[in-house]
Amino acid sequence: MGATMDGPIHVPQDGDAEALDYTKAAPPEEPVTPPGRWVKENLFSSTSNTIQTVIFGGLLLVLLRFVLNLVFSEENNWAAVATNVRLLMSYNYPAEQYVRIWFTVGALAAAAGLSMAAWQLHPRISVRRIGVNLLGTGGVLIVMGILTPGATPSSIRIGMLVIGAALLVIGAGLLFGTEDPHLKHVSFTAVLLTISGLIIAFLWLFPLGKYLFIDGEAIQEDGTVSATTKGPWTVTILILLASLFVGRAIGKAIGGTRPLRLAMGVWWVIGPAFLIFLVLRDPEFDWDYVLKVDLPLALAFGLGGGALLYALTKPTFADQARAVGAVLMGFAIFNWVAAFFGWYAMLQKVRFSFLALALFALAAPTFAGEKSARLRFAGMWLGLVAVGHWLITGINTPSTLDITAPPFLGGFVLTVSIAYYVMLASFPLGILLALARTSRMPIFRVLSTIYIEFVRGIPLITVLFFFSIMLNLFLPNGMAVSELAAVFTGYTVFSAAYMAENIRGGLQSVRKGQYEASDALGLTGVQRTGLIVLPQALRVSIPNLVGQAIATFKETSLIAIVGGFDLLRIADKTIPAQTAFIGQKRVGLLFICVVYWAFSYSMSRASRNLEVKLGVGQAR
Amino acid sequence: MTRRGTTNRWRRAAGAVAALALIAGACGGDDDDDVATDEPAEADEPADADEPADADEPSDEPADAEEPSDEEPVDTTQGGSILDTVIDRGTLNCGVSGAAVAFSVTEADGSVTGIDADYCRAVAAAVLGDATAVTFTALTAAERFTAVQTGDVDVLMRNSTWTQSRDTDVGMDFGPTTYYDGQQLMAREADGFSPSSEVAEIDGAVVCTNAGTTTETNITELAGQLGIAITLQTFEDYDQVVDAFLAGTCDVITTDGSGLVGRKAVQQPEGENWVIFPATPISKEPLGPVYAQNDSQWADVVNWTVYATFIADELGITSADVDAALAGDFGPEAQRLMGGEGELQTVMGLSADAFYNVISQVGNYQEIWDANLTPVGLDREGSANAQWTDGGLIYAPPAR
Repeated sequence: MGATMDGPIHVPQDGDAEALDYTKAAPPEEPVTPPGRWVKENLFSSTSNTIQTVIFGGLLLVLLRFVLNLVFSEENNWAAVATNVRLLMSYNYPAEQYVRIWFTVGALAAAAGLSMAAWQLHPRISVRRIGVNLLGTGGVLIVMGILTPGATPSSIRIGMLVIGAALLVIGAGLLFGTEDPHLKHVSFTAVLLTISGLIIAFLWLFPLGKYLFIDGEAIQEDGTVSATTKGPWTVTILILLASLFVGRAIGKAIGGTRPLRLAMGVWWVIGPAFLIFLVLRDPEFDWDYVLKVDLPLALAFGLGGGALLYALTKPTFADQARAVGAVLMGFAIFNWVAAFFGWYAMLQKVRFSFLALALFALAAPTFAGEKSARLRFAGMWLGLVAVGHWLITGINTPSTLDITAPPFLGGFVLTVSIAYYVMLASFPLGILLALARTSRMPIFRVLSTIYIEFVRGIPLITVLFFFSIMLNLFLPNGMAVSELAAVFTGYTVFSAAYMAENIRGGLQSVRKGQYEASDALGLTGVQRTGLIVLPQALRVSIPNLVGQAIATFKETSLIAIVGGFDLLRIADKTIPAQTAFIGQKRVGLLFICVVYWAFSYSMSRASRNLEVKLGVGQAR
Repeated sequence: MTRRGTTNRWRRAAGAVAALALIAGACGGDDDDDVATDEPAEADEPADADEPADADEPSDEPADAEEPSDEEPVDTTQGGSILDTVIDRGTLNCGVSGAAVAFSVTEADGSVTGIDADYCRAVAAAVLGDATAVTFTALTAAERFTAVQTGDVDVLMRNSTWTQSRDTDVGMDFGPTTYYDGQQLMAREADGFSPSSEVAEIDGAVVCTNAGTTTETNITELAGQLGIAITLQTFEDYDQVVDAFLAGTCDVITTDGSGLVGRKAVQQPEGENWVIFPATPISKEPLGPVYAQNDSQWADVVNWTVYATFIADELGITSADVDAALAGDFGPEAQRLMGGEGELQTVMGLSADAFYNVISQVGNYQEIWDANLTPVGLDREGSANAQWTDGGLIYAPPAR
């Protein structure tokens, strides 16, 4: 997004050092009350308050006891989950190819570290906050240790009590041993290093037990988790830390993080696709064909199209550009009609490229301007061709993976991949739909309204069924998409409609004065929307958008119904069918509950932090 | 003012279109393949015909990706047999359940086991000489037959009952039954039931089963015929049925015998004895391979692969004895079956050692049974699945 927001007039953007000034003047800190007084004031201030505290505290304990009973019940066979962790995480990805999964995880960790450096994520964490968190966690662990049912292994109970007590002591020490704990801060780096160290120590020292697979038989052994688990995770954590420091060093060396932010922004859009289709899927390229056909095609479209677009964006060529765009568009549409009727053969890639080129040509007059802006526009096209052609080639090349049962994505990997790309794709689509719906042009408004209301009126599962069964019937002869791609498309279509309504809410919150002011500044429509209206609208929409993202993540479990092997289907159908765990559903379902919760809660927390940083909900 | 407004509108429209272009391009990249049309002869793109990636399933089904694009995935009416497709592709696409105890199970390491999975391997061994050259597709009950008809799978081994309507209606054929199942009932011995109990004895009992299945219909019809009163409770899911039985909500549960035995073996609590009755099941559920209709070459291959495991079992040829059988130690029929003489296999379009590979790599019927059904407590002896020489129904035409 950063690249497109550059305009001739400098408008402060989020993340710009000077633009953040207003957030630096943070709201006054809330007055700190000592814990004793806080308890008295908030929990036992009056008789009715005390009664409520006791009743609901009791209910909370009963609930906790119920949950612990569920988790540590004698009927539960946690081996069902422990043995099947591999299945739950990556389904049937071949074990000898696991290095690909670890490479993916490592690449994501490196990108995360660099991004943390790029966006200068180093929140100031007060000693008080750490102390309170430790006290809270310690307290909960001790209560859990006391409440666990008798069947719980004593090692777990004692472990809970000991760790809980240790946390309590450390937390109390921090809270009461430090003077003015709310004013003292610990650096983010230190906290991160400590947590990483603890995770690594846990992996290498805690006797969780391990499973070996010999001829398909799972054999349990005592000791710490197997080296093939703890080794890669340790390396991953180290990569994360290292890339964080490298990123910071780069930022220092080039005197600013803007280039790094741009690079990471682009990476997060195309990087995961690279990881999925080229690393995880491992296509076996026919290099001869790639060199003879794919590469020349990409070059011809990239360079030829780039040159054409560069010429068309010359300010004096606006009329010619429209004419060329219209002709190209006509040709592209004819091309697709021809594809449906099978009039003549052509690589679908070429048809796509013509369509995209036509759209770019139509848009060219809008991007007319300085030489650098024109070059950037041509560059955008070049980038699109490079990424698009490479992705299509990669997807079409047969995979070399020796997989006993497709698809190659399954389990948690599938859930995350689908959720991530659905969110990513439906976001711009949602913005467009929202803009169209609030547009003054009737045709856009009507079309967008019809789309949104139609899609919102259909259950998601219907959309998924429709796309997984029907999509291929709508495609031209000889062209087909896989089940997963169909599901992804359907889900994106669905999600975009909701996204659009969330963003429309934000758009409506932008005052009319903002429009008038930008008109008064002489901004064009695109500049006004991109630089003035959308940033404000999106900022307001953050809570809703994150709500949508969480819903998207959770609803990926519906993929199970259209044939994907996501977490739910594995826990609900696959594991209970194994001879050793016939009918064992409960533990699997409990486990995926925890996974879903942990991720949703993290997203929720991240959005809270973002809201605080952007000052959402505060009067400005 | 008006003029300016108009330009603005134009520009906004153009901007929106540009952004659409980006999306369209990106989406295209994500989902689609650059497949040529189906008329390579008229192609003006010379490379179309030998384009390596004209996939029907571009991203997920690597095996399919090698299929030539100038044909429908499976074209059984215009000459091409699935057999040729499978040999060209180098792997067999086999539809299984992936979640049926002892029939097809996805193990913790991602491998697929079970009697159905083993018959997939047997077909792959016969056609391709390699029992591991199978791509399993896990299908739900709802999508299994469509997958056969559309050619997504070459053969379906998904504990599917062979019925008249399925065989005649929906464009597919059934192969020889690999497992004779039948609906039975299970109750506690403490409630006065024994393996020799009759269905009439469940008068007044609470009977539980899955909702909307034929088992539900069968037991209701039978109760009506016998004039007994039962309280039928149905559950969405078989696991819930068993949980209800364990909790004592149900006196009797009913489903296919294989499902009952499996649960009894694993979930019967200590001190309780569950009994399965009546000895003759109340329904016939022959389970076997399913393949597309009107492809008799492929049908022969699948059928005779199954028969080969039956014959090997009948003649006592195990995976360890294949070389002896080939040498003639088990008689001339065994020798012919192993490809020692004659051209029994080659006329089918298979290599002479096709069934040698099946038996050596997968095993005979008894070996497949021992590997998959014995661990869940299913006994072959005395059941309908015994050899015909032992009074069962497992019977293969002679190999000559």
